[in-house]
Amino acid sequence: MLAAYLQYWKINLLTMAEYRADFFMWLGFTIVYHGTALAALAVTMMRFPSMNGWSLREMFFLYALWMAAHELHNALFYNVMYVPEYIREGRFDRFFVRPFDTLFQVLTVPSRTFPDGFILGVVTLAIATGVAHVHLSLQTVLVIAAVVCGGAGIDLGISLFVASLSFWTIRVDTLRWAVMSLEQDFTRYPISIYTRAVRVVLAYILPFAFMNYFPASYLLGKHDAAFGLSPQVGLLTPLIGLLWSGCSYLFWRIGINRYQGTGS
Amino acid sequence: MAKSLGVPLIVTRELRKVFRSAKRSPGPLGALRGLFAPVYEDRVAVAGVSMEIERGELVGYIGPNGAGKSTTIKMLTGILVPSGGEIAVAGIVPHRKRRENARNIGVVFGQRTQLSWDLPLVDSFELLRAIYGIPADRYRRSLDDFVELLEMGDFLRTPVSQLSLGQRMRGDFAAAMLHEPPILYLDEPTIGLDVVAKEAIRTFVERVNREQGTTVILTTHDLADVERLCRRIVLIDRGRIIFDGPIERIKNEYGRERTLVVRFTEPTSAPAIPGARLEASDGITARFVFDRASQRADRLVREVSERYSVEDIAIEEPELEGIIRHIYTQGYAGEERSA
Ligand SMILES: Nc1ncnc2c1ncn2[C@@H]1O[C@H](COP(=O)(O)OP(=O)(O)OP(=O)(O)O)[C@@H](O)[C@H]1O
Ligand SMILES: [Mg+2]
Repeated sequence: MLAAYLQYWKINLLTMAEYRADFFMWLGFTIVYHGTALAALAVTMMRFPSMNGWSLREMFFLYALWMAAHELHNALFYNVMYVPEYIREGRFDRFFVRPFDTLFQVLTVPSRTFPDGFILGVVTLAIATGVAHVHLSLQTVLVIAAVVCGGAGIDLGISLFVASLSFWTIRVDTLRWAVMSLEQDFTRYPISIYTRAVRVVLAYILPFAFMNYFPASYLLGKHDAAFGLSPQVGLLTPLIGLLWSGCSYLFWRIGINRYQGTGS
Repeated sequence: MAKSLGVPLIVTRELRKVFRSAKRSPGPLGALRGLFAPVYEDRVAVAGVSMEIERGELVGYIGPNGAGKSTTIKMLTGILVPSGGEIAVAGIVPHRKRRENARNIGVVFGQRTQLSWDLPLVDSFELLRAIYGIPADRYRRSLDDFVELLEMGDFLRTPVSQLSLGQRMRGDFAAAMLHEPPILYLDEPTIGLDVVAKEAIRTFVERVNREQGTTVILTTHDLADVERLCRRIVLIDRGRIIFDGPIERIKNEYGRERTLVVRFTEPTSAPAIPGARLEASDGITARFVFDRASQRADRLVREVSERYSVEDIAIEEPELEGIIRHIYTQGYAGEERSA
């Protein structure tokens, strides 16, 4: 399985070299995308010196943490996005006739997903760590790495759950879009600025707050997270990522037995 | 893989598949109703199929559109979970042990490629080598073999999206056989191919069956494929097997009608022979259809040469195609009548 995974990446990277123009176009797109978001953040913060006790520097770190996790998810798990399409068009058939787990095969469909965003995310996160004066030690570096992986796990868990619904012939396009914009909109600012209902959703239901807000609170030494939770909960991110992706995977396993394919 | 002798390689018993889909009621109210109290519509695609296939057999699985062929194949490959009945392929229940089953099988769906669209063929093959852990030397050998047999040398490095249908299908065959599976499922593998590509593929199938002992189940609407490759056919209609046996038997049972082709030395209008029906005539050549059981060919030949001035006579045996067409339109009476 490892050999197959390495082969997949080898092909991906070779394709990347071959389609260099594509690669740079995507890289440019990613830069513009995140650049715009950060610029908007800076403009907002010109009017308020701080937002619920968060400075611009700290919010840069907040964003970078989410960005790295989200881009790690995009680099490794982006193909999950295509699953509803595969199912609807009957193209999912092929994943049953090769001797690997169906999800593994979905993740290794060569589809020109380049890790450009993730590289950019790591660089941004490194800069933001310095800008926000996060106390650097081996321990914090490990925590940051674990949080980024856990955040990618949360992203995977949620997208895998939504994709699995397609096995019940549910149209998930709208849902997927709604979840994505929820994630984009509500990971930019400290969740303490939102109403209680929104905070409950972000902490307990679709736990995007664990991708950046809680761990950032911990790493920046904030005293109070939302709901009077200790910022230590930020350390739970890897566990929550594991739980979400694990449960979604079980849901997926139930789903594949309901797969009907198409008539032709 | 080694299984005790005497057990057929593929066994199904009363295999069933019912597709369930939510029925949509018209109008916004209907959509609302569908949300809370969905109405389902069941369609029986396979209604109880029992068959046994031995190692090394090459079986033609045929039937009209919508008969349930692809659905059966999808259950054998582990793609679909059956709604009822039993199934064992090399001792494995495919949908329970998909990964193990996958090691034993190769699959080609003519309608849908399994190759990666963006990649050159050779990259897809490399990926498969890694997936199955095929040793490098064996991989080289098989690949060289396939490239030669299927004449893929010219387009091995072309992205699949740029291949013609025939080229792509050859790629699909190689991709299905690279790991030398003991079983090969082919669902309409020659659909849309020209005669040369068809021939290349038939030769390929014939060869893996003969040389590697690969067991092949072939679904096709081109009966020339079947006639060329299979000794046994399984005929399915509306989800049920209506015939299972050697091609010879169906020909004997069904090929009652032979054709007498007569060429006259001079234009002859409305020729007629007692005991035979004139099927077509262009004045010079006439085709008479007669029942083999009740009419003797030698009598008809004598009769026609006594009545007319004849240049040439030929008798055509029934074609599988005609027989199958007859069964599709009239239904099969063989087994049911004797049962
Ligand atoms: N995914 C599906 N959902 C609903 N009905 C289906 C599905 N797949 C097949 N069917 C129905 O099941 C029946 C059998 O279909 P199947 O594809 O097995 O036929 P087939 O013998 O392969 O036909 P063909 O020669 O046209 O390929 C058809 O009535 C078809 O409409
Ligand atoms: Mg079919």
